[in-house]
Amino acid sequence: MGGMTETEYLVEMRGITKRFPNVVANKNASFTLRKGEVHALLGENGAGKSTLMNVLYGIYRPDAGEIRVYGKRVEIRGPKDALKLGIGMVHQQFKLIPVHTVAENVILGLKEMGFVLDGRKINQRLGEVISRYGWKISPDARVWQLSAGEKQQVELLKALFRNVKILILDEPTSVLTPQETVVLFQTLRTMASQGIGIVLITHKLEEVFSVSDRVTVMRGGETVATKHVRDTNIEELVELMIGRPLLKIAPARQLSREKAVLRVSDLVVLNDKGLEAVRNVSFQLFGGEILGIAGVSGNGQQELLEAIAGLRKPVSGKIFLDGVDITDKHPWEIISAGVSYIPAEALRYSAAEMTVAENLVLKAYRNPEFSKKILINWKNVAKKSMDLVQSFRIVTPSINNKVGNLSGGNVQRLVLARELGTYPKLRVVLAAYPTRGLDIASTEAIHQEFIKKSEQGVSILLVSEELEELVALCDRIMVMHRGEVVGVLERGMYDIEEIGLMMTGVKKMEAKA
Amino acid sequence: MLSLKLERRGEVSRKFSAAVSGFFLLAGLFFASIIFELLGVSAVETFSRVVSVFTSQSSLMQAILRGLPIGFAALGLCLAFKMNFWNIGAEGQMYMGMTAATGVVLLHAYYGYIPDFLVFPAMVAAGFLAGGLYCTLPAFLKVKFGVNEILPTLMLNYIAMHFVNFLITGPWRDPRGFGFPLSIIFPPYARMETFLGHANFIGLPAAITAAALIFGLLQKTSIGFEMRVLGQNFEAARYAGVKIGRTLLTGSMVAGGLAGIGGLVIVSGMLGRLRPGAPAGYGYTAIIIAFLAFLNPWLAVPAAIFFGGLLVAGDVIQATLNLPFAAVQIFQSTIFLMIIVGEFFKRYKIRVVR
Ligand SMILES: Nc1ncnc2c1ncn2[C@@H]1O[C@H](COP(=O)(O)OP(=O)(O)OP(=O)(O)O)[C@@H](O)[C@H]1O
Ligand SMILES: [Mg+2]
Repeated sequence: MGGMTETEYLVEMRGITKRFPNVVANKNASFTLRKGEVHALLGENGAGKSTLMNVLYGIYRPDAGEIRVYGKRVEIRGPKDALKLGIGMVHQQFKLIPVHTVAENVILGLKEMGFVLDGRKINQRLGEVISRYGWKISPDARVWQLSAGEKQQVELLKALFRNVKILILDEPTSVLTPQETVVLFQTLRTMASQGIGIVLITHKLEEVFSVSDRVTVMRGGETVATKHVRDTNIEELVELMIGRPLLKIAPARQLSREKAVLRVSDLVVLNDKGLEAVRNVSFQLFGGEILGIAGVSGNGQQELLEAIAGLRKPVSGKIFLDGVDITDKHPWEIISAGVSYIPAEALRYSAAEMTVAENLVLKAYRNPEFSKKILINWKNVAKKSMDLVQSFRIVTPSINNKVGNLSGGNVQRLVLARELGTYPKLRVVLAAYPTRGLDIASTEAIHQEFIKKSEQGVSILLVSEELEELVALCDRIMVMHRGEVVGVLERGMYDIEEIGLMMTGVKKMEAKA
Repeated sequence: MLSLKLERRGEVSRKFSAAVSGFFLLAGLFFASIIFELLGVSAVETFSRVVSVFTSQSSLMQAILRGLPIGFAALGLCLAFKMNFWNIGAEGQMYMGMTAATGVVLLHAYYGYIPDFLVFPAMVAAGFLAGGLYCTLPAFLKVKFGVNEILPTLMLNYIAMHFVNFLITGPWRDPRGFGFPLSIIFPPYARMETFLGHANFIGLPAAITAAALIFGLLQKTSIGFEMRVLGQNFEAARYAGVKIGRTLLTGSMVAGGLAGIGGLVIVSGMLGRLRPGAPAGYGYTAIIIAFLAFLNPWLAVPAAIFFGGLLVAGDVIQATLNLPFAAVQIFQSTIFLMIIVGEFFKRYKIRVVR
């Protein structure tokens, strides 16, 4: 043991404890990062991963413990300190300013750090980086116009532009397409080979094995183990994370296709930019069916779901629920008809300063169970919330905790609990990336819940980029590209390669769903 | 090199929050006393007079009376701001409440349609409706055309002011008032003190009841829930199926209506007639009061009465210590400023960084 090995560590965190009112988010946690390694950070939702890295990035100050960077003991008082030390972080929830352009977001804050700015040069350099990674964003695009995946790229750009030596990525792949993920991982490996240390928070175990060198597992705020990836395996990591092996998905089943519950015909919907996002889409969703929509995000899936949910007015075309025309109906009428909607960005549709209980009944407060005439029965709300918190395993100190204080995955669990658990007669679930941000055990639980619901006759429209998820769950898969349906596949005919080709627009199939 | 840095605090406990408020209130008094000493007036003397406002019965009654109109308006603003409806127009809504209440009195005095005992209830209803409708106008523009409410609510204040000036210099001027721009003096049945001896005896219970109703509306009813969700996150409200237009119009009706009631208290409880100069910025003060009360309806009325006390104290200091009116305003603003600084320190802390 000498100075040599110590300086090899870019980061050493020892005995970190961080308390929030009623919660200990980190308990005596330790973490090290070596030069040139990709270090995966695993753990269930609410295990304390984001908090630990927020401590390193200076967003929170630890109640106890010490941090060394490049072997030297440091006090990181804020993100600016962190950036000065060469620490960059890409958050789970984007920290971009929607009305600004990509370039403006990237250079924001750079000036104070002593960089000289020249608009044209910056755009040129940005353009270089963007094309180097094979991205498609323009430096002049406004951030609000970008898809989730593209916003992620802007966040990465920000870090790349600041020459960080230590890069923390909080669940970066949850919003990326499989192709983008591959590209990202290549980038990460290149960066690592240049000596940058990378922390990768993730719930996807394949990623641990495909890109990381070491892995640290957290549980209940503690760091329970750090391993070399080559010395461990999926089963061991699962055991470490949740203390038991994982269940497996249910087998395929037969269902009758007599009556369509949801029928969409020739639907045309515009996106926020006023361009056609959904082009003449027609399909039927049958009772108890799980119909998958495969596609690279930003190909009209979100606009399609929003149109069905009544949140976006279609330009033309019709939507029928049980034969009744619901096009142009108020969102409330569509909710009352039993159509639930799990949106892609959970926090965007949550009241972050309101409580867990209030967010759980965000839609159901009008049900007779929860309100008599105009008075809300908060006692019943509390009872129901307690049930839902338990059955959907939402980690929160109480049902009166603010939703903004929940961990990312737990906000998602809350949305799922509301959309799957508070409708008196659920008919259709519109689900966009429902397992985004969930740990593996909860992902599995949600899959089971979907299958259970579909067996009870609920129809599910499942938008996902994860083909394994679609293939495992769906009775049919519809592929969307540039707002059009480019193919429909029946269970038993799934070919991941082929779906991938259709998603990228290389292949097209003549069929109607 | 030393530099100062702001750092956000997380959630703070109630005890901490109360301690900070207390500290900065004292700091405000301290700074005010420096100003008084500089003006050559004994600070001790001054403060004993300020304190006596809250201890002597008659001036406390004055403080409450002055606080009531502000309190009603602030209650409405708690609701409006909770809805994220930036109503800067409580002043104008108070004008409209004053006007409508006076209108009822004049109608009755000149034409005598209804029995006397119904006049006051009719004034209350008219004040509420006038203030409320005046506030739904910008809400309607927001719902229908997406117009931001800040400018319309502000501009409507000036329209209301000139409208009142027009009325009391023209059609509503007291014919026996020697040409002064004043309405007739309200007959007893139109004045709040007639009923229980002092305007406060119905005003204060009414304000507390209103606070309870607003609290109940926000916390216990589904429309209040919708208002809070709407204020929190517009997208979430749409997503939850909230009928946004209806919610905004209802909320702005109640918010403006309460300011209108504040206007009624001014003409019926304080002045006894419609005259220029009122509401003297109470509608703007109510904005500060609503924020000092953290938009909590229970705190709005006490905060308004505290401010009413400062107004009365200002008069007392001015009259007895012979201080200029500006000094009084400095005194009031210093205390307010320090309370607001205290709010800042509940959210942030300052660190010295090398
Ligand atoms: N600002 C905060 N205030 C109060 N509690 C918080 C705050 N931030 C996090 N917590 C709590 O600390 C715990 C750990 O949260 P953290 O965000 O670190 O989890 P995580 O491991 O990143 O989970 P996920 O996989 O869901 O993102 C959770 O119970 C969370 O509710
Ligand atoms: Mg997290």
